[in-house]
Amino acid sequence: MSNNIYLPHLVTIEDIYEEAPDVRSFRLVFKDKALRESFDFKTGQFGLYSAFGLGESTFCIASAPTRKGYIQCTFRKSGRVTGGLSELSIGDTMGFRGPYGNFFPVDEWKGKNLVFIAGGIGLPPVRSVIWNCLDRREEFGDITVVYGARTVADLVYKNELQHWGDRNDVRLIQAVDPGGQTEEWQGKVGFVPTVLEEAAPKAENTVAVTCGPPIMIKFVLKALEKLGFSDEAVYTTLENKMKCGVGKCGRCNVGDVYVCKEGPVYTAAEVKRMYNDF
Amino acid sequence: MADRILKKDNLGKLVASVNGNGGRFIAPVLDARQVVFKDVTKAEEIVTEYILARNSYKEYVFPQTEVVADFTVEKHGVDLKSREVEARETVVFGARPCEAASLSSLRAIFTWDYIDEFYTKREDSLVVVTVACTKADDACFCTTVDLSPESRAGSDLYLLETESGDYMVEAITDKGRAFVEKYKGAFTEGSGKAKTLVMPEKIGTIDLEKVSARLKDKNHYDDQVWARLTRKCIGCGACTFVCPTCHCFDITDEGTQFAGERRKNWDACQFDTFTLHASGHNPRHYQHQRWRNRFMCKFNYYPEKFASKGCVGCGRCIRVCPVRLDITEVMEEFSR
Ligand code: SF4
Ligand code: SF4
Ligand code: FES
Repeated sequence: MSNNIYLPHLVTIEDIYEEAPDVRSFRLVFKDKALRESFDFKTGQFGLYSAFGLGESTFCIASAPTRKGYIQCTFRKSGRVTGGLSELSIGDTMGFRGPYGNFFPVDEWKGKNLVFIAGGIGLPPVRSVIWNCLDRREEFGDITVVYGARTVADLVYKNELQHWGDRNDVRLIQAVDPGGQTEEWQGKVGFVPTVLEEAAPKAENTVAVTCGPPIMIKFVLKALEKLGFSDEAVYTTLENKMKCGVGKCGRCNVGDVYVCKEGPVYTAAEVKRMYNDF
Repeated sequence: MADRILKKDNLGKLVASVNGNGGRFIAPVLDARQVVFKDVTKAEEIVTEYILARNSYKEYVFPQTEVVADFTVEKHGVDLKSREVEARETVVFGARPCEAASLSSLRAIFTWDYIDEFYTKREDSLVVVTVACTKADDACFCTTVDLSPESRAGSDLYLLETESGDYMVEAITDKGRAFVEKYKGAFTEGSGKAKTLVMPEKIGTIDLEKVSARLKDKNHYDDQVWARLTRKCIGCGACTFVCPTCHCFDITDEGTQFAGERRKNWDACQFDTFTLHASGHNPRHYQHQRWRNRFMCKFNYYPEKFASKGCVGCGRCIRVCPVRLDITEVMEEFSR
């Protein structure tokens, strides 16, 4: 067994899902059978995915730890590595290192109501938590999901959104930015923070989880504050450029906080205490 | 108290024995009119009249570039091979007390929960033979960061030059004692008269406590003073490459999509793409924000998070900077 912390595991792409323009998901299984059985992670953790010859890219693990035997990642084609990954087909091999980082303290949330708020490509990390909680549905109170994207086409996980919408133990509110709607669109038209305020989930005994573009998060945090959420009850996951994932390469820090080692999951209270290095 | 003498006439014997054992002997030599650490095979190559080697010897524990894995992409999958470091005895002769103190800082990073064996195996087989300073220049400021030519931290052997050009040897660590034992033919009994050490004057206007308090206060993080003091920085990264505690690196694939190597390559927080997100957003968009990161790393992250020194006062960054940005001026500003 190698002690090389930079050596990835080999994984096979078992399935590919087109989620939105330039956004796709891979369902990945470890080549090593023993690892396939033993691999475990917690919701919120991330990994480094390699396209050999091009390098590594960081994404969260978008599947839930309650679903064993595979992991899923969702990414947007935006650079060299993600461009290379987009060219891979079912059956191809890629690399994975992880799981790294901390996680959402789901066990501490037993008995509480949960509100998930995501924008665009910010849904994948939140999806892992949503499925984790839905798979243990009886442990939690009301579950609300507020999800928005620029246009209808940009909504990811369309099949799952439909499934969550059909369930009577989930309240799903979908939105697209003004101008992004189609004629058939049945959801809201508006920005996520506004839609959230209108939906007005009650803050009492409730935990909120949010992820999305920085500007959305900023206004979602304000909206949650207005709704009476305390900063300790609001969780988010930070994104920063990463190379090593294990606290060595020196680039993911927000001030003195190393996102790869001490994050990526933080409460809003913790984020507010950080150096302004965003 | 010196334990042994290393006669200058025996230095050649030591170089030959280390090399003969399959080890590496690194010492300051002249290269393109600069004094730099390099592999030597003959004692005659070694320079003794120098202040500090231009490069830090960190590249012998943390190489500029190194392969961590090899891959070939086959029709039915990928063949991936891990590289392992072969631990080879490596002697650094002529390190200075300031830079010797930096190894524990690098170690703190490379062993923070995840052990980077590319680093630890090299450091474990490294023998640091420090020669105390009998010369200094205006860029030296070890005494301002609580070190001095008398500091022993990080050295395995601590040497004082004698008037006749020999070295009085003090073994500091077990590794150092074992080294003297192993090469006992080169280390003899005796004594000599040590040359006087040169103490750089402490910069009186700098107060490390004040610098530290200022950096801890998050209200000062966005002060205009950062831009004012560091505006002239052109982001060349030279200061990070010569610095004995700078540890940032990149991980990249080199080769083709069919076969190649995955490498760790030195990188610098002073480069504009260092923290650039795929979305185009860059948390450190302006050069002064990158410079602030380097200074924070030295005087806040290293001491507060890793209980180690981020700056050992070697002055290399001052000597090498093309725009004469002097880190001690920023320290002075924050000592007010
Ligand atoms: S910051 Fe400059 S003076 Fe301090 S250790 Fe690094 S190179 Fe030497
Ligand atoms: S050497 Fe000088 S100009 Fe170059 S990055 Fe460092 S401070 Fe800036
Ligand atoms: S990603 Fe390398 S230190 Fe965090």
